[in-house]
Amino acid sequence: MKHDYLDKYSRLDSFIHKLDPRVKLICFFLAVVAVVSEPRGDLTGFPFYYLLIILLLAASRIPLSFVLKRCLIASPFIVMAAGVLPLSYLLSPGASASPSSAESMWFHPLSILLKAYAAVILLTLLSSTEKFHRLLNGLQKLKFPPVLGVMSALMYRYIFILNDEMLRTTRARKSRTPGKSRISRFRIYGNQAALIFLRGKKRAQDVYNAMMSRGFQGEFQEYNGFRLKLRDGLFSLLFLALYTGVRFGL
Amino acid sequence: MTPKNHNRKQGTIDIKNLCFSYEKDHPVLRGVNISIHNQERFGIIGPSGAGKSTLLLHLNGILYGQGTVRVGGREVNKDTAPEIRSRVGMVFQNPDDQLFNPTVEEDIAFGPLNMGLGPDEVRRRVKETLEEMRLQGYEKKTSHHLSFGERKRVALATVLAMRPEIVAFDEPFSNLDPSMVEQLLHIIKDLPATVVIVSQEIIPVAACCGRVAVLKEGQIITTGPSYEVVRDKDLLRSCSLDLSIYESVCKKIF
Repeated sequence: MKHDYLDKYSRLDSFIHKLDPRVKLICFFLAVVAVVSEPRGDLTGFPFYYLLIILLLAASRIPLSFVLKRCLIASPFIVMAAGVLPLSYLLSPGASASPSSAESMWFHPLSILLKAYAAVILLTLLSSTEKFHRLLNGLQKLKFPPVLGVMSALMYRYIFILNDEMLRTTRARKSRTPGKSRISRFRIYGNQAALIFLRGKKRAQDVYNAMMSRGFQGEFQEYNGFRLKLRDGLFSLLFLALYTGVRFGL
Repeated sequence: MTPKNHNRKQGTIDIKNLCFSYEKDHPVLRGVNISIHNQERFGIIGPSGAGKSTLLLHLNGILYGQGTVRVGGREVNKDTAPEIRSRVGMVFQNPDDQLFNPTVEEDIAFGPLNMGLGPDEVRRRVKETLEEMRLQGYEKKTSHHLSFGERKRVALATVLAMRPEIVAFDEPFSNLDPSMVEQLLHIIKDLPATVVIVSQEIIPVAACCGRVAVLKEGQIITTGPSYEVVRDKDLLRSCSLDLSIYESVCKKIF
């Protein structure tokens, strides 16, 4: 079975991978806040943000193609959000042909595009440089509500279960479909989807029973504790200094 | 693969008049009575849909039915379930259901951590259990990259790390090759615990269990020494567990 989702490259061994998950969570979250809080239409900070992102990417050894694929997945939503702005300018009754208005028409959507892609890349970097369960443990340490952590962990596990069931039912379908299927594809896919969810529900219940029988009471206990190291302190200082420096034009 | 001896308390099980149904008017268990002694190897055999796995889930309070289930003299109910779960280890049929942590060692540590043991004790238990199950070197491996037999061993290790007084197996011999069945039989024989096995595979159950109960349509048909139950061909045939087909095939082959 193939099981690579959020944390596909989390087993790489780079400087960024070695950092404490709490440090990464705080730094990446603040970096996203710094980027998205840039004034509308102001593009001066973005070359620096993207330079920092490129440096982080290089340091993490995450393949660029993987990051670009993630961006591509988010693209429809980002482009749609950014594309509405020029339209709203053109269609608004007070739209004028003044140079400032024309600039706004293009700079605002461009800044939205740049902000959104920067956020997507930063979050991809975060999820690809740390195992998902360690990120959840990090959130737990940062006093994130435990129930949300457990829900996320179970949801993550449910993705694997659904994928397992999807692979099984797809194999069964293909093994009984020599050549072209005579039955409507949509009907087959509909039946398969229903079956996947039904079987997924049963498997999820079995997994939960197995967890309960080993004493699970709604909270994941931490096995390997976290310890902050010098590199964590240095990285967070440098990282936050650079991002706040760019954000506030220092 | 010989697990070390651990401190044992009473590993007895007493089930009295247990009834259970998932849906109204469709009882799965109908007045089950079983008494299992401390350190006994007890098998429950029966055809598919007889209610074997459902019965097993009552032993540590995953399911609650009418009637009473007592483990070591303590009645299993919502109040006692957390304590009972640390005493009754459950090895599920599908190891993939049991292995949900990212690495083998974290899966093995899951039970002891939930028991509230300290980090040093948990680490010690993980190390010991890995040695007992000959899984050294598997610590950092991801369970879904292991073979089915290895996953079965890891699933058993996750339970043994809790040092349970009772180990309950759900179809432990299914999908295993003969050498793995043999290994598992040795492990079961040496476990310092009461062992309950539910299975359709009569021969390995008879090989490791002193007593066997036959469950059919939610009722215990008979309980007795394994060799007696296995020889009762009429009884087995009535439960769709007839072995004579294997006899005739074996005679042809050998």
